[in-house]
Amino acid sequence: MAKPVIMPKFGFTQETSVIVRWLAQPGQTVEQGDPIAEVSTDKVDMEVEAPASGILDGVRFQEGDEVPVTAIIAYIRQPDETLPPETLAAEEQPVAKATPPPPRPVFTPAGGVSPTRATPVAARVAADLGVDIAQVSGSGPGGRITRKDVETYAAQARPAAPSSPPPVSSSGKVRAAPAARRLARELGVDLSRVQGTGPRGRVQSVDVRAAAATPAPSPLPGVREVIPLTGMRKTIAQRMQASAQQAPHITFDADVDVSALEALRRRANAALPEGHPHVSLTALIAKACAWALQRHPRMNARLEDDSILLLADINIGIAVALDEGLIVPVVHDVNHKGVLEIAADIAAVVERARSGKLRGEDLQGGVFTISNLGMFRVDRFTAIINPPETGILAVGRVRKRFVPDENDQPVLRPMMTITLSADHRVVDGAIAARFLDDIRTALEHPDAMIL
Amino acid sequence: MRELTYAEALREALHQVMQEDASVFMIGEDIGVYGGAFGVSAGLIDEFGPERIIDTPISEAAITGACIGAALTGMRPVGEIQFMDFITLSMEQLVLQAAKIRFMFGGKAKVPFVLRTPAGSGTGAAAQHSESLENWFVHAPGLKVVMPSTPYDAKGLLRAAIYDDNPVIFVEHKLLYKTKGPVPAEPYKIPLGQSKVVREGSDLTIVATSIMVKRSLEAAEILAEEGIQVEIIDPRTLKPLDMAPIEASVQKTGRALVVHEAVKTGGFGGEVVARIVESEAFDYLEAPVRRLAGLDIPIPYNRTLEYHAVPQVETIVEEARKLVQGGY
Amino acid sequence: MMTITETPNYETYLQEWGREKALDLLRKMLLIRSFEEKAEELYALGRVHGTMHLSIGQEASAVGASLPLRPTDYLLNHHRGHGHCLAWWGSNVDLMMAEFLGKETGYCRGRGGSMHIANVESNNLGANGIVGGGIPIAAGVGLSIKLRKTDQVALVVFGDGATNEGAFHESLNMASIWDLPVIYYIENNQYAMSMPTKKAFNIERLSQRACAYGIPGVSVDGNDLFSVYETVQEAAERARAGQGPTLIEALTYRWRGHSKSDRQAYRTREEVKAWQKKDPIKRFAQKLGLDEATLAALQQEARERIEQAVAFAEASPEPDVSTIMEGVYA
Repeated sequence: MAKPVIMPKFGFTQETSVIVRWLAQPGQTVEQGDPIAEVSTDKVDMEVEAPASGILDGVRFQEGDEVPVTAIIAYIRQPDETLPPETLAAEEQPVAKATPPPPRPVFTPAGGVSPTRATPVAARVAADLGVDIAQVSGSGPGGRITRKDVETYAAQARPAAPSSPPPVSSSGKVRAAPAARRLARELGVDLSRVQGTGPRGRVQSVDVRAAAATPAPSPLPGVREVIPLTGMRKTIAQRMQASAQQAPHITFDADVDVSALEALRRRANAALPEGHPHVSLTALIAKACAWALQRHPRMNARLEDDSILLLADINIGIAVALDEGLIVPVVHDVNHKGVLEIAADIAAVVERARSGKLRGEDLQGGVFTISNLGMFRVDRFTAIINPPETGILAVGRVRKRFVPDENDQPVLRPMMTITLSADHRVVDGAIAARFLDDIRTALEHPDAMIL
Repeated sequence: MRELTYAEALREALHQVMQEDASVFMIGEDIGVYGGAFGVSAGLIDEFGPERIIDTPISEAAITGACIGAALTGMRPVGEIQFMDFITLSMEQLVLQAAKIRFMFGGKAKVPFVLRTPAGSGTGAAAQHSESLENWFVHAPGLKVVMPSTPYDAKGLLRAAIYDDNPVIFVEHKLLYKTKGPVPAEPYKIPLGQSKVVREGSDLTIVATSIMVKRSLEAAEILAEEGIQVEIIDPRTLKPLDMAPIEASVQKTGRALVVHEAVKTGGFGGEVVARIVESEAFDYLEAPVRRLAGLDIPIPYNRTLEYHAVPQVETIVEEARKLVQGGY
Repeated sequence: MMTITETPNYETYLQEWGREKALDLLRKMLLIRSFEEKAEELYALGRVHGTMHLSIGQEASAVGASLPLRPTDYLLNHHRGHGHCLAWWGSNVDLMMAEFLGKETGYCRGRGGSMHIANVESNNLGANGIVGGGIPIAAGVGLSIKLRKTDQVALVVFGDGATNEGAFHESLNMASIWDLPVIYYIENNQYAMSMPTKKAFNIERLSQRACAYGIPGVSVDGNDLFSVYETVQEAAERARAGQGPTLIEALTYRWRGHSKSDRQAYRTREEVKAWQKKDPIKRFAQKLGLDEATLAALQQEARERIEQAVAFAEASPEPDVSTIMEGVYA
């Protein structure tokens, strides 16, 4: 049966995407995993990959069409298959033609942690205080994070985390209905900037929604819109600044020949058990990193006060870009897991991240981070270390390049550039370089990991 | 389904209960051959005799005490205080005895009886025959307070009240006795402590009791013409009060209005407003929670003054409109 | 009808009942006296919460009134009712003392206290903190008996002051028109709180009020046990025979003030002393021909039993605060 290609949902408030460009044409044969379309959400452009190998057919939308997420946009069929009958009638209408999707309110969950791991009040207070709730340990039943936990953490964690000042008008307080206040908190809207249409100028919910939808006009010349730094964005800003300032970053590139890796990936995906998530490159890279971390304990370490703590477990964080910002869910115990299991874990935790259902442990215990921006066609990049880790691996895209073979003849090989950033307070260049080299070895010759 | 008046529905409930349970009897003034001041017990004495439909002298304290004593010793009396105004003469027995005996005796006794009483204004009976004192009894732990607004509710709630093991004050609005509504013929109970969503809507929550339910429904029809959809909730039992549907409703609509006949100051509305504001529904309020209730005056004799002393359909419409359109 | 009955012949009673049974009555009175004295003592030691209304000097009335009645009959009592509670069927002085001290093991789980002690199982429908509060309830009990067609009776005990409450009038009237089997028992100890009966009534004997309801009224020496016994018994027989209520006035005297905060400025020490000479317990012991030593021994027995009760009560737990909301609704 022909396999439908659906418009994926990339962020959990995303409702539609616009097809920017088809990368393959109807009738073209594609390989599973090949990018076949470029689509744009309101923040980033993403690629839609072929879910199977076969012939692209039954394309239902054109470039410029805005399509609801999870809608079917095309099919991959085998040469002897036909398309499902309903596709032959052009029925599914695009949502809108080439009009940009309406701007959505900025949603700032406190690290996307579900209510079972933190109380709603705790999540709200964490957002208000700019606290990364993932860092807070819970004292409630079952380790649930309570408001008090958040406040305690905020008080002792860093002095540079002020509570977001309440909007102050000339009388000292904003006149706003309770519903409006709640909505403003949830949407990250600054109440003092909202025009109230209620009696006596009271701000009502409808006013908050309007303010969230339209960019706040700014009195500053040359400034089109002012977005307050709150919630997740603020947390990221603070942590990245701290990391950049405190950890002297040394960076190392390696161009990796991933032919063997890709072949391994294809073999793994060809033999998948029913319903098992596909093995991505990231899963294999994680396995390689775990192997290398075992061989270089200094890279699996944390600097605390005057000591370097060598850590016991190998839990690897996989950076995920949500609409709202960067989040790094963690796969635990990678060194003890096979690639299939790692792939399943990654798929599961990324799904939880995207659907806002992350658990506390999903954001805790990471010792190393992998950030793969290959899907954005980045060739190479440098990542900032995720404190308090010692290293982070930035992964670029796979490109076919000509490289010399053993006979110095140019051959086309799939190449991928990986960049390691390491904290020079903990490790010197030599250790970092050897670590990176081991990763390369594992990627280019996966059997090294078991020999 | 056939329709009965509110009074007929009450009578039917009493009839059915007294047929099946010999421990139930009625006691009050003029309830026998006279049939009760509002006709509720008309004809019952012919079926059940003067032993079970007991006429008393004018002795409210004794009527109430008799209910208490009988209830303490295995019976389920249904007492009647002819006008709620006169319940003031039973206060000691109700508040200091009936309400407290179970608790004072360490939970080892029960006082199961119902005290029915006609209340409310609109009949020109003036200040001493038009009272709505239900909130006094909401304020006494150990008592339950019920105010049915329809014939259907009246029949089901009375049966439930009689079989409840606690003293229940059962308040019937005089102007409701002649109202008609569908009532199933078979016996049925409506559980005490269960609010009812009488009308659904998305713009405003009205919590109304007794006769104000009917008036709120009429107001809702008028408001619907203007595009305002009102949700109406009848608590039915004031104590214990079922807040869950009210909270859910206010969360939905963001605006709430409590309507009752009794005087606003110190009235039941204050209790409802406090509970709304104390609940999670607070976070969803777009406007202050308002009360529409009786003026702080004794009920006047003059017909027009009497009319304006309590909420009417048009005042409910006006208040609702104002709340929804940002007047508060 | 308002007659003061003659003192019965104790010899006859001794012969009919036997000495042991008579001694039991004395023991009961002594137990009541000891209970009250111990209550006073505990209060003075600061171990009792609230106040108390002691019935020292009224023991004969308490024991005599319940003596002719059955376990299936009902008692409704008043705030000065420790004696009546103790005299009633199935009473347990340990549980009474525990209630008095507010303990979980008390009759009312510590929630009622001195003025609200009840033993519903034994048809003791409770003491009442409201003067006259039990009087309308008694009519209700009488009505219930009548409707259920049993031969039970209800004894409601109250003081002289209660007869001036409106509810007294309503209840007696109701009982009289329906012939309810209620014994209205006034313990007239000459004072309401501080108001002497002389000033509160325009009539000589409170039993005169019976005529307002067309029912029999009797005044009796409340300090003579068998006088009380006979009067109540006659009233009970009438009631059981369907002849309706009776109003009994038992004349007695309380040795102590109204409550613990009473300075007794309204009476003289001489008056109190005079009445103490007419101690109902001593009188009964004399009538039985007991000597000082035997009486003393019985007194000691009673005191020891009360000590046991105190020990039980003090060893009992306080109610658990987490159960504070219990017992409001059935």
